[in-house]
Amino acid sequence: MSGESETYEPLPWERPTAASLAQPHIVLAWSLDEPDRVGECIAVDGPRALGRGAALADDPAPRATPQRMRPGHNQPMPPIGNARIGRIQLLLAPVGSERISVTSLGRALVRINGAPLEQAAIARAGDVIEIHNAATYLVTLRPKRLPALRNGAFPDFEFGGADPFGMIGESEAAWRLRDALQLASTTDRHVLLLGDSGTGKELAARAIHGLSGRRDRSLVCRNAATLPEGIVDAELFGNMRGYPSSGMPERPGLFGEADGGTLFLDEIGELSERMQAHLLRVLDAGGEYQRLGESKPRRSSFRLIAATNRASDALKHDLLARFTHRVELPTLSERRDDLALPVAAQLRRIASAHPALANRFFERRTGQVAEPRLAPHVIARLLRHELQHNVRELERLLWLAIGSAPADYIGLTPALEAELDDAEQAVAQPAPEIDRLTLLRALSEHDRSPTRMAQALGLKNRYVLIRLLKKHGLSASEPNPGGDA
Amino acid sequence: MTTQAALLRETLETTLAADDTFPRRFYELLFAAHPEVSSLFTRHSPGAQRKMFAQKLVAIVDHIDSPEWLDRELGAMARSHVSYGVTSPMYGWVGDALIETLREACGASWSEAADQAWREAYASLAAAMQR
Repeated sequence: MSGESETYEPLPWERPTAASLAQPHIVLAWSLDEPDRVGECIAVDGPRALGRGAALADDPAPRATPQRMRPGHNQPMPPIGNARIGRIQLLLAPVGSERISVTSLGRALVRINGAPLEQAAIARAGDVIEIHNAATYLVTLRPKRLPALRNGAFPDFEFGGADPFGMIGESEAAWRLRDALQLASTTDRHVLLLGDSGTGKELAARAIHGLSGRRDRSLVCRNAATLPEGIVDAELFGNMRGYPSSGMPERPGLFGEADGGTLFLDEIGELSERMQAHLLRVLDAGGEYQRLGESKPRRSSFRLIAATNRASDALKHDLLARFTHRVELPTLSERRDDLALPVAAQLRRIASAHPALANRFFERRTGQVAEPRLAPHVIARLLRHELQHNVRELERLLWLAIGSAPADYIGLTPALEAELDDAEQAVAQPAPEIDRLTLLRALSEHDRSPTRMAQALGLKNRYVLIRLLKKHGLSASEPNPGGDA
Repeated sequence: MTTQAALLRETLETTLAADDTFPRRFYELLFAAHPEVSSLFTRHSPGAQRKMFAQKLVAIVDHIDSPEWLDRELGAMARSHVSYGVTSPMYGWVGDALIETLREACGASWSEAADQAWREAYASLAAAMQR
């Protein structure tokens, strides 16, 4: 029965899509020691052991390998080297096609969505796994490889950094956007960018211009909402000298200025219906328009990139029809895998612009400003916060954290916390509950040996015991000062 | 894995579990006993210095069974330490502070055998760096 299906080769449109191939991954959202590793991704495509250093003989599963994913190419990376991460810290395994089981095997405290993980839990996309004071991961779904770009290579840039156009992001959504912008750039047709405030519409316009054959000509940027009421036509189309009044100098207008290049018109949805109608003719193939006061039409070879944060139905349908490409810009909440990258970039900018802040909040290595002292909790909470204003809100929150910081690190201050959603989301997990008396008895019965005590109390390992002891103010290393042991 | 390597790993993991600020304690002990060496530690901020110390220490213990790795890494560390102005007696001071830090953190689980394993391992690492 299966003979035919085994040899069946799917037709191009029947091949699996990137979306259908998505599987659980964890993305490094913060590393205390190595923030330049943020954005690296681990595929949980089978049981995987995550820990410090190389594989061990008694690993319960093959080692998880961090990957730097770029379209069509994954670069394997060494494990992160933080001493706080145990040699075998986590066991990850897929559960179905969308969830993972997370088992804590190492000594470091692990939290999922802020709640301590005692044994094991099931996590799904959007959940945040923290290895205490070492690394923060976000569970996400993405294909094992990002699909290759349709129009060949994108200009090279450092992993996790800003691309040559200033856009930051290594997530699947970020690369889908770059792919769409690159495709739009090659066709020389008008483009409409749709995106909320702070999603990077101007950067996207710069990318289209910079990737296009017009890159050596000018990019004229203007916000349509700021065009002075009453002279919008003159601003757009220009005017002859002395028109409409005698003192008026000759002006080329935005379409004239952008001749040979690109015109970026932000907030085009703010133009009145009448003004939108005035644009129709110039947007047709010939780029024909008239300067105010002139009778002969002119031509401008420009490409319009317009942007709006309104739904596209805010535009007249015949104007909308003149945009061959519509590119939707994802919000930061739609690409949480990338959230820490603009945080890191913003912190680097702050450090270089404000030496006093660099001295206060950053480590120094061989005299140079190095990684920020950023409490990983801040990232974990930001990852679970619904940002309304994208990068702008992120920057505001970061400055709020800096402004309210009581000491020499950027932490979760009450002022910041008041602005963030969702303190803790419970993830189903069994937690061992052992009372203080039982612990004290076990301490004396087992000669304070953590390994033997853990075994006797039925705990997973001695680290769980050490944490339990800490919780009750006890320690295996010294007799209790109260003398009640 | 040799018994010595197993003991080193066991005690280091116990130290890390008991006190994840052990690098801070190490520098406290070192500077208390030898205040003059603190002037050698100004290239990095104290936080960065402690992270680098912890990372190097765990990496060395993680690779204690790999002579090629140790040769390569210790060679590089030896060169940089000469340029920092580290002299021969200082290796002994660092070793004493390190072993005292581990002993404190391990508490009752610290043994004579662990003490000996660390002293022997440290002596051979320090010798390799001064070769």
